[in-house]
Amino acid sequence: MAEKSGSALVIGAGISGLRSAIDLAETGYHVFLVDKAPHIGGILEQLDHQFPTNRCGMCKLLPAVEPDQASQQCLRRGLFHGNIEILASAEVMDISGEAGNFCATLHQHPTLVDPNRCMGCGQCAEACPVEVKDTFNAGLSTRKAIYQPAPQALPGTHVIDLSACTHCGECVSVCPTGAIRMAAADRKKFKILVADEASSVREQLQTLMAGEGFLVDTAESGEAALEKLKSEAFHLVLLDIKMPDMEGVDVLKEALAVQPSLQVVMTTACAAVQSAVESIKAGAADYLVKPFSEDFLLPQIYRFYEESGKGRQRELSVGAVIIATGCRYFNPAEGKDIFGYGLYPDVVTHLAFERLISGTGPFGGRLVRPSDRRPVNKIAWIQCVGSRDLQTDSDFCSSICCMSAVKEAMLAREIGGGQVETVIFHMDLRVFEKPFQQYLDDAKRSGVRFQRCRVHSVACSEDGARLAIRYVDMDGAREALFDLVVLSVGQRPAEDAEKFSEMLGLELNPWGYLAPRPFSLTETSAPGVFLGGAVSGLTDINDAVIRAGAAACGASKAIHKSGGSLETVESADDGRDRDINREEPNILVILCVCGDRLKALIDMDVLLDRIQTEPAVSQCLEVDGLCSPDGWAKMLEELKDKPVNRILLATCAANAYAHRRLEIADAAGLPEAAVQIKDVFPSDWFAGGAPAKEQTPYNTGYVERCLKLAIAGLKGIHWGPAEKIPVYQSALIIGGGIAGMTAALAIAGHGFRVDLVEKAEQLGGNLNWLGRTIDGADVAERLQTTVSRVNDNSLIHVHLNSTVADIRGSVGRFQSTIGEGKNAQTGHHGAVLLATGGVEGATESYGYGKSPAVMTQKAFETARSEGRIDPAALSSVAMIQCVDCREPPRNYCSRVCCLSSLKHAMYLKEQNPDLSVYILYRDMMTPGFYETYYTQARRKGIIFFPYTPEAKPEVVVPGQNGDGASRLRIRANDPIIGQSVEIEADLLILATGITPVLPGDLMSKLRAEVDEHGFFKEADFKWRPVESLAAGVFACGLALSPRLIDESMASAEAAAMRAVRMINRQYLTAGRKIAVVRHSLCSGCQLCISACPYGAREIDPEFGRIEVNPLKCQGCGACAAICPNSATVLAEGSETEMFEMIDAAMGPV
Amino acid sequence: MTDWYKIDRQGGDRLTDIRQFLKSVLGLESVSAMLVPRQLPTKDAVMPSLVSRPVLLDDADPLAPAFAVNSAKNISQLTRKGLDANIAAVLRPCEIRAHIELVKLHQSASEPVLIIGMDCLGAFSNRCYQAFLEENEGPASEAFCRARLSGAEPSNTVEISPACRMCEQPIPEGADIILGLYGISLDEGLFLQARTERGKEVLDNIGARGAKAPEQREQVVQSLIKERTEKRDQVFEETAAAVNTIEKLSEYLSGCVNCYNCRVACPACYCRECVFTTDVFDHDPLQYLKWSERKGALKMPTDTIFYHITRLVHMGTACVGCGQCANACPNDIPLTQLFRMVAHRTQAAFDYQAGRSADEPPPLTIFKEEEFDEIVGLGS
Repeated sequence: MAEKSGSALVIGAGISGLRSAIDLAETGYHVFLVDKAPHIGGILEQLDHQFPTNRCGMCKLLPAVEPDQASQQCLRRGLFHGNIEILASAEVMDISGEAGNFCATLHQHPTLVDPNRCMGCGQCAEACPVEVKDTFNAGLSTRKAIYQPAPQALPGTHVIDLSACTHCGECVSVCPTGAIRMAAADRKKFKILVADEASSVREQLQTLMAGEGFLVDTAESGEAALEKLKSEAFHLVLLDIKMPDMEGVDVLKEALAVQPSLQVVMTTACAAVQSAVESIKAGAADYLVKPFSEDFLLPQIYRFYEESGKGRQRELSVGAVIIATGCRYFNPAEGKDIFGYGLYPDVVTHLAFERLISGTGPFGGRLVRPSDRRPVNKIAWIQCVGSRDLQTDSDFCSSICCMSAVKEAMLAREIGGGQVETVIFHMDLRVFEKPFQQYLDDAKRSGVRFQRCRVHSVACSEDGARLAIRYVDMDGAREALFDLVVLSVGQRPAEDAEKFSEMLGLELNPWGYLAPRPFSLTETSAPGVFLGGAVSGLTDINDAVIRAGAAACGASKAIHKSGGSLETVESADDGRDRDINREEPNILVILCVCGDRLKALIDMDVLLDRIQTEPAVSQCLEVDGLCSPDGWAKMLEELKDKPVNRILLATCAANAYAHRRLEIADAAGLPEAAVQIKDVFPSDWFAGGAPAKEQTPYNTGYVERCLKLAIAGLKGIHWGPAEKIPVYQSALIIGGGIAGMTAALAIAGHGFRVDLVEKAEQLGGNLNWLGRTIDGADVAERLQTTVSRVNDNSLIHVHLNSTVADIRGSVGRFQSTIGEGKNAQTGHHGAVLLATGGVEGATESYGYGKSPAVMTQKAFETARSEGRIDPAALSSVAMIQCVDCREPPRNYCSRVCCLSSLKHAMYLKEQNPDLSVYILYRDMMTPGFYETYYTQARRKGIIFFPYTPEAKPEVVVPGQNGDGASRLRIRANDPIIGQSVEIEADLLILATGITPVLPGDLMSKLRAEVDEHGFFKEADFKWRPVESLAAGVFACGLALSPRLIDESMASAEAAAMRAVRMINRQYLTAGRKIAVVRHSLCSGCQLCISACPYGAREIDPEFGRIEVNPLKCQGCGACAAICPNSATVLAEGSETEMFEMIDAAMGPV
Repeated sequence: MTDWYKIDRQGGDRLTDIRQFLKSVLGLESVSAMLVPRQLPTKDAVMPSLVSRPVLLDDADPLAPAFAVNSAKNISQLTRKGLDANIAAVLRPCEIRAHIELVKLHQSASEPVLIIGMDCLGAFSNRCYQAFLEENEGPASEAFCRARLSGAEPSNTVEISPACRMCEQPIPEGADIILGLYGISLDEGLFLQARTERGKEVLDNIGARGAKAPEQREQVVQSLIKERTEKRDQVFEETAAAVNTIEKLSEYLSGCVNCYNCRVACPACYCRECVFTTDVFDHDPLQYLKWSERKGALKMPTDTIFYHITRLVHMGTACVGCGQCANACPNDIPLTQLFRMVAHRTQAAFDYQAGRSADEPPPLTIFKEEEFDEIVGLGS
């Protein structure tokens, strides 16, 4: 589709990496998407349901405007995008260079399976004798050494697990397509040196490895080994750590000095952590403990052999790098409180639980205990295992576990038909994002129980049948029995965080995570290198997707700035725009006969006869061996100059070819849609499950029906020239706070004009009254630099004291009126960003307004910065959190207030250590690394009282009710000690949260929705978090949801990236599979307008007709389904076509 | 709003009082014409007529047990393209419900129409009405009315239509003005209830005076509804048993000749061009032969069951149970029972009732993420 005007490297193909890659690819860059795993999707491959919707929806990452750019299919199955090159099983070894011009060295791990030949039939796995724990199912089941990495991936290409494969060759012999390569010939060239004092070991290893065909030599001393290494080249050395004449590590160092590319494996009879660490640091490739069994050693040797193969290194030139390698999870067995993990099979991690209930999991989605497969009736979740725990050096919150436990409990109840009892043992419930509080309320309503306490231990019950959780609550020590215990394990830094830190000089935070620069979630100290997703701390999907967008924006700007200039993307279809709708169907049927196999099963003459009676079929071509590269090439050759306009490729295992449809289309000079690849016989016919010969008539009928069904479908395909709509290549940003300014700079940084409209007389919004962040970063300074950058940028036109009075049009073509009266200007923009911000919530609670001693957080912040607060003059300050928040009607957490209170509390305490500070809270929301400030605050002696919404604190203002006291009095119930307390305070600071400021009239003119609290309603909270369902309308900052400064800026960059994706095109091309209205049939009932979820339909005021906006229409078919008389039809889905297909499918057998 | 009004007996019978009342409404400046069942001058037939000259309301007969067409369709004709005048319409409850559905489907407008709803005593099918006329040598509306209100059979030879016998919504809830009959003595004057501000204004303007609610009415209506509901459920049970397999359904509909009269008569079937008469069902001639070859014999015309199932799908959420489908069927297929049963259950599934309120959006136009969990949920 697009000019390859620059390229980027995205490391890690999880949610975040995928989003960054798609953003960059849609902007027009070539993207290398690298993942160590053999599949894309990261952890999402393992999660069927994600909060807060309890379903997936990952496909929503795919482009919705210009949908034909990417193959529209389930993203958990795979991604096919013209600008994205996926490099799975690959690792980045080195990155050098600078922004705009990096060189990355890649190592491609061998999988031994040729993806172009593998059809995913799975016969290899059946034949494989090696069974290992299936890490995909979190060890709850086993798999073979050759396996399909993710059950839902398409094509189901298998890979070999080199750490387990014994190279027995069983799979090679059963593979029907010869896809598995285990060449024995090269083993003779692979030279191994065994250096060990013990002759028995030398002999054993030599016999074993020579028996496999390797060239093996031995050395009995360090000196002898070095002698041999100096005289000839070896590939691998097995070196004992204690050689008779010298230390193994010294031999290692010298050996590497002689042959730097040498792989040295240290061996030892007595394992010690220290020597292992020392060896690896000195450059050893691995560290193995003797004695070796054959089954253990051979896979290791083969792994080195295979990894050393030629062509494993690849160099990539890229303009920017995004590191999105995610994070690891805590292993509870490493902790002090292991909660029975590893001892009892029914104690599992939350990831294992996700697999346990998955339909593709070990138990087929049934909720049973791993130990005895018996139904589960009662489940416990233990939160904060390896999080918020100083004992495991985790003074951080893992941010997502509260919500994931809530989700898992809800799912368990749903699966169990409401019969399963679920209890979550937790500390605070961290519901810090917009929809989470309501999600939590839903869970409570659905019967999930919450127990606030710390769990002491998990043990086996006395009868040995269940698990006993011991915990302490207000009534003392208690014990409860469960069938299954789920540990919500916390995050740990990505394995390669340190590697990238060293490679690129990136900073690590105290816990070993790659750390972004202040005021950013994605920028690093290395220009051109960005962080995406959970690599800088675990995030939920919403946050990961926003950060990924911000990272992509940064990367794009870096490439653009360094001259890898972002040319305007042409949405050209290079000659594939052939209008086959206007041509009579003329179908070429290509039938793969699979040697003599098909002929042995069906009556080919009868079949061809019946197919050729179909008028639309002009020719039926028999081909052979499509699964071999030769057969495929021969078939492509045959397609040249065939006067057909549609092609049906009939094979087994059609999914294996789906991604090669374009090759066929190109060979035949047709649009991709004109090529269909279909299964017309079950692949098991050729895999031992073949039906008997006497069933020939049945078989023939079966193939005929499949073929006719496919032919009927192919006749109806719709592929005309797509409508092109010219784009106004500029953006309108409403709101000049930090989000609006950041978005403006990001878009202008790509060379596009921006109109930035601010209703106040100055830019900056809330930053104008904020002093410092809790991290100590200087807000005022940041504001000043940002404002001057905005003012200095000639592409940004700032309209102060202005509002957008009117706006019309839709994606690509918005027309607006900026300002009023004679100063009004008309704007033309391709995209609109709402950055209208938010304000501190108003309140009348807790005596607010009745005493100057009761103030809001903003008032305190302002007073403090103006020097009106004298901490020395105060002796007691109280703060109340969640004022009028987290309960209807404002049933959401405002995210920033707990941190503000901590900030203010610590300030007061620092200024006057004798001052008492009390924070009355419901749940302290200090997700991620902010947790450490909560810890610090407690250490400083700040006193925290939890309260529940049922028993809120009571405030008595001086003079109220005839009260003679001179200070405020606050009464609260402490549910932990079960007593009421009374606090006297000089000052009460109320955390009233954030309410949005979003102009409703503009939103409705833009056909964008507002949520029940007045925030911008995202197209999808998880997957499309900065855009509306109405295409071309984006939001960022507080208009979207309560967020911190860096989070606002990240959302602004993500939104800017999405806007750039649109306005960098001169034309937007509509999808071809869209709905059209047949006006002569339309009764004007308007059901379709209500049914359309994308706001793509409206009544043309001039003719009173229903019109479809081709860019907004996503071809979902809701309109066609609700229209009673087919006045609305979906291209490729008309009734006539469906009838014909049903008829074909119901044909004679 | 439930304000009651009374207009005292003017002499003569109930019908005369009603005609007098209608004349006074039509006499208002704000009402340009009145759609009302009226005896045709040429024959005893009673048809909806748009009357603009008050004197011609002397032939109006809203008590007649005739129900030739559902007038919601007439209102659609009058208002769909916009009517720059106000009219009054005297309607049965099921006509009002159909009207409300059509308004929601943008096929009618509610603003220009003042609805005077009659407590419904039921009606004969077109054919039975002819028999009734012959039996009584004339319209005999007053006699019919007396018989129905006293619980007696109005005819020795014919029954009122099946739709009316099982109708549990005989009160015109959606009207501006209700003309009450149930629980009101025939010898008293007219009892009228204002249901909307607009209705109240009209009643005030014609000089009707406020009155207490008729004492017996609530109880009479409730017991009638109870009786009808029982009858309805019994019909549903019988119908379900008669159509619960595709074979039985085929048998049930075997008399259908694809004349599509039911569709034409249906007030909720609003398509300007039915899909069954578009190119979608205009099969290729060879197709018929193919089907015949496959099955050995092909019933002509084809797509009969498909047609009825499609109509059930399309109209299931909008069916108001007026019975016009069966009334229009030349082959006496008991369509009303089938449609009402399916519609009732469909509407119940969506917690929707066709014609209940103009404010309730039609079920399929709203998307709820959490519904029908038993079908789409994990536990299913």
